[in-house]
Amino acid sequence: MDEKKTPEVKIEVTDGAAIPIEKDEGLFTAWRIAFFGSIGIIIALCVFKPDPYLEILKFVPDGVVVTFEVTIISIVLSFFVGLLTGLGRISKNRAINLIASTYVEVIRGIPLLVQLFYIYYAVGSFTRIPPFFAAILAMTICYGAYMGEVFRAGIESIDKGQTEAAMSLGFNKRQTMLYVILPQAMRTILPPVGNEFIALLKDTSLVSIIAVADLLRRGREYATSTFHYFETFTMIALIYLVITLLLSKCVSYMEKRLTPYE
Amino acid sequence: MNKKDAIIKIEHVYKYFGQFLALEDINLDVFKQEKIVIIGPSGSGKSTLLRTINQLEKVTSGKIIVDGVDVTEPGVDLNKIRTSLGMVFQSFNLFPHKTVLENLTLAPIKLKKLSKEEAEEIALNLLDKVGIKDKANNYPKQLSGGQQQRVAIARALAMNPKIMLFDEPTSALDPEMIGEVLDVMKDLAKEGMTMVVVSHEMGFAREVADRVVFMDSGKIVEVGTPEHFFKNPIHPRTKQFLSQIL
Repeated sequence: MDEKKTPEVKIEVTDGAAIPIEKDEGLFTAWRIAFFGSIGIIIALCVFKPDPYLEILKFVPDGVVVTFEVTIISIVLSFFVGLLTGLGRISKNRAINLIASTYVEVIRGIPLLVQLFYIYYAVGSFTRIPPFFAAILAMTICYGAYMGEVFRAGIESIDKGQTEAAMSLGFNKRQTMLYVILPQAMRTILPPVGNEFIALLKDTSLVSIIAVADLLRRGREYATSTFHYFETFTMIALIYLVITLLLSKCVSYMEKRLTPYE
Repeated sequence: MNKKDAIIKIEHVYKYFGQFLALEDINLDVFKQEKIVIIGPSGSGKSTLLRTINQLEKVTSGKIIVDGVDVTEPGVDLNKIRTSLGMVFQSFNLFPHKTVLENLTLAPIKLKKLSKEEAEEIALNLLDKVGIKDKANNYPKQLSGGQQQRVAIARALAMNPKIMLFDEPTSALDPEMIGEVLDVMKDLAKEGMTMVVVSHEMGFAREVADRVVFMDSGKIVEVGTPEHFFKNPIHPRTKQFLSQIL
């Protein structure tokens, strides 16, 4: 029970979104090869074959903006939905617990694309939902459930002694959660939450199917009007890769900054 | 001592964990300024008993009256009662994300609504008293076990409690650090704090306790002054236990 035995909890909940592990800070890391490699290829393509590559690069920025909008709004909303869901999942109130647990079970069992269709087309057949709004709603509902599980695991990973210490000082349950448990849980869950964010960013490409003009949609518009399929989707893939790698860098930077109390 | 002075009254307390009877008909009065040391083999229910006093452990039946309030009553404001019951744990349970100073000031600022300056002044005085003022801005993990436990004692004292509960405070410590924690507890005893201590430290029990309580299999077997207890124990189970550890 002394400090040596304090468990170092690390939760791995990921769908394969990669945060490169940089053990040795050599010149060649997987992240640098992928990041600078893809930027180099984009530049080279635009310089040596500006038609169509530079044309494509000029055509898609609106789409990048939309992808960012959907991603950031969905991340913020699903973070709070996830926090509430996680708290609900550990609640001793049976009704709240059941609602949160059922939400997680149901949503995790339905593919995101189906949820997207369901909100846009099925629910949309009763009441008209703008595509952008439907996209954010679907992303938030889906990732809120995933994030809820991450939060639950993070909260449960905090030693029971912390709760007991806080309660014995006179804190109620809400204060204990707010001042003692959540600040510690945030550190534990940052890596898996970061992975969820990256997965969410990539999954926003699905919203192109319901007429949201995101990066992928803009690419398809360009490709179908010019028949440059190979060139267009090469550029689209490279742009997604650059954005994803940047986000993963942000996440690992935040992770490093958030561990001062060791 | 007068019966009226009892600050903790434990009456006919039973506690079941499922089928297992952890506490069986416990009756004990603790008087103001008294130091009680509870000893007994592991699994005898001594920690469970201590934890029922501030209701970290609910009782199955019976009453526990702390400073005039029955804490087993449903709907009683436990959070308020707990502010006057300091508790020190075997595994310290300091808040790792807060500095030593913040560990001490968190509860007084949030619960007693003290200003940051007032809380820090009290905290620094307490840290001085337990001999680790110089570590005020360190994080708990940077401290040794003995230092962490002294911080934990100071953290409990920062709420200015009427009673201090100690749950095997030295059991997780390396042998050379036990003394420094016991010294702090002895100082506290001298100042007249009411203390209930679960411990295996017989030397401490002999020196500090007003009464020693021996528990076995969820029951209080024998209660007495240290002289009576260590020299002339009556019950055979007590004799056996003492012969094993002394």
